Amino acid sequence: MSSSDDHPGDDFQAHSGTGRPGDGFGDLEAELRALGDTLHSPAPPPSGVARAVRARLEGPAHTESPARPGRRFGRPGRDGSGSRAGQARPLGSPRRDGRSRRVRLSRRKVAAALAVFLAVLIGATPQGRAAVASVLRFAGVEIGVGAPGPLPAGVPSPLPGERRVTLDEARRAVAFPIVVPFALGDPADVRVADGGRVVSLFWPGARLDEFDGTLGVVFRKDLGEPWPEEIPRLRAWWVQQPHRLSYVPRHGGAPREERVAAPTLIWQRGAVGLRLEGPSRDQALRIAASAR
Amino acid sequence: MDDDEAITRSLAGDLDAYEVLVTRYSAVAHRTAGLLGAGEEAQDVVQEAFVKAFRHLGSFRRESAFKPWLLRIVANETHNLTRSRGRRADLAMRLGLEREPYEPEDPEGVAVAADGRSRLLEAVRGLPDREREAVVCRYFLQLSEAETAEVLGVRLGTVKSRTFRGLRRLREEVGRELLR
Repeated sequence: MSSSDDHPGDDFQAHSGTGRPGDGFGDLEAELRALGDTLHSPAPPPSGVARAVRARLEGPAHTESPARPGRRFGRPGRDGSGSRAGQARPLGSPRRDGRSRRVRLSRRKVAAALAVFLAVLIGATPQGRAAVASVLRFAGVEIGVGAPGPLPAGVPSPLPGERRVTLDEARRAVAFPIVVPFALGDPADVRVADGGRVVSLFWPGARLDEFDGTLGVVFRKDLGEPWPEEIPRLRAWWVQQPHRLSYVPRHGGAPREERVAAPTLIWQRGAVGLRLEGPSRDQALRIAASAR
Repeated sequence: MDDDEAITRSLAGDLDAYEVLVTRYSAVAHRTAGLLGAGEEAQDVVQEAFVKAFRHLGSFRRESAFKPWLLRIVANETHNLTRSRGRRADLAMRLGLEREPYEPEDPEGVAVAADGRSRLLEAVRGLPDREREAVVCRYFLQLSEAETAEVLGVRLGTVKSRTFRGLRRLREEVGRELLR
């Protein structure tokens, strides 16, 4: 056990100071590589491993504590005792409950007028989520910033009623105009969920969810610091960290289909709310700018 | 399906896509667990690592490579195991001489080479843990210094110094004469 471990200044630097790193060890290094090539470790067939891992991921809720593979995986708020609070929380306000179409339309106008420039900050402390410092509602997405508890551990499930369709079928199935960002081209995969409430477009490395962004909350995000970054030019918000994403059912109730979401850009185009997940911040801004 | 696409789909809950990743990296994950000392429990370690990797996929930095990120989890799981069973990590490796890709014609030469290699392997086994891990990652797993740093969770300079000290110790142990 060497105590000079984090101080590589001793023999190594003196040694490499000769300008020949690994000086004199070339033969030994080659021999070690050759030796490594002759070492065989028993390993089961990869397909069997894949099946076993899948079975575990699909299995009943895991009871072991969430993984902590290394310091680098540290997440905000995961040590709090309130870690259960995230699971069955009531959402602040239950939403639409089968009102008439006329009422919905008038609500739509009001909400659209608000949503144009509005990111509403509410000092909300819904029951069971007292740790949430504030809530941001924007473009059909509600973002709770506070102590989010651990990220979801189970297997994410698809959105309700999700089915794979063509882009044309999707256009017929939803009531809002579907935006295909010019920068991404035609999507590799298209899915419509929950009777046309959400359409999801997929490209390698990117997922774009589109929904009516004026009628209420469709997605809920829970995260810790830092706050989402506002991008005024696009009237967008950038969530830079992985976070809990859940789907808010059409007729209210607790958010479901929780999963871990990658960094996401949220913006609104007309009445359509969009969330783009996967690309880096700069890529996402370019893609959003091309979605006209 | 490349890694990036598989990761995107996995993040959306597509277990078929994650199976692609598991299949792709199963062999190197087992090899890493075995070489870092998981022994007969390498299979458990690898399975656990893949489950944890799935759950932490959201924290994977998309611009970096998946393999060292995964192997870091494998290495950590192996550490947890060896620490919990309270004995020194050991190389769970056998010399697979019967599976040499080619055989020198001279049987005596085979014996000498085999002897040299088993002595070298014994010497690697005898290294202090940290030096052995660095040597294993650099030469047996043939990872770059940067990858080794990520897998072991240390800085690049630390990898360099541990590797150097390990090599120097090996040289002292086995002597030059056995190394052509």
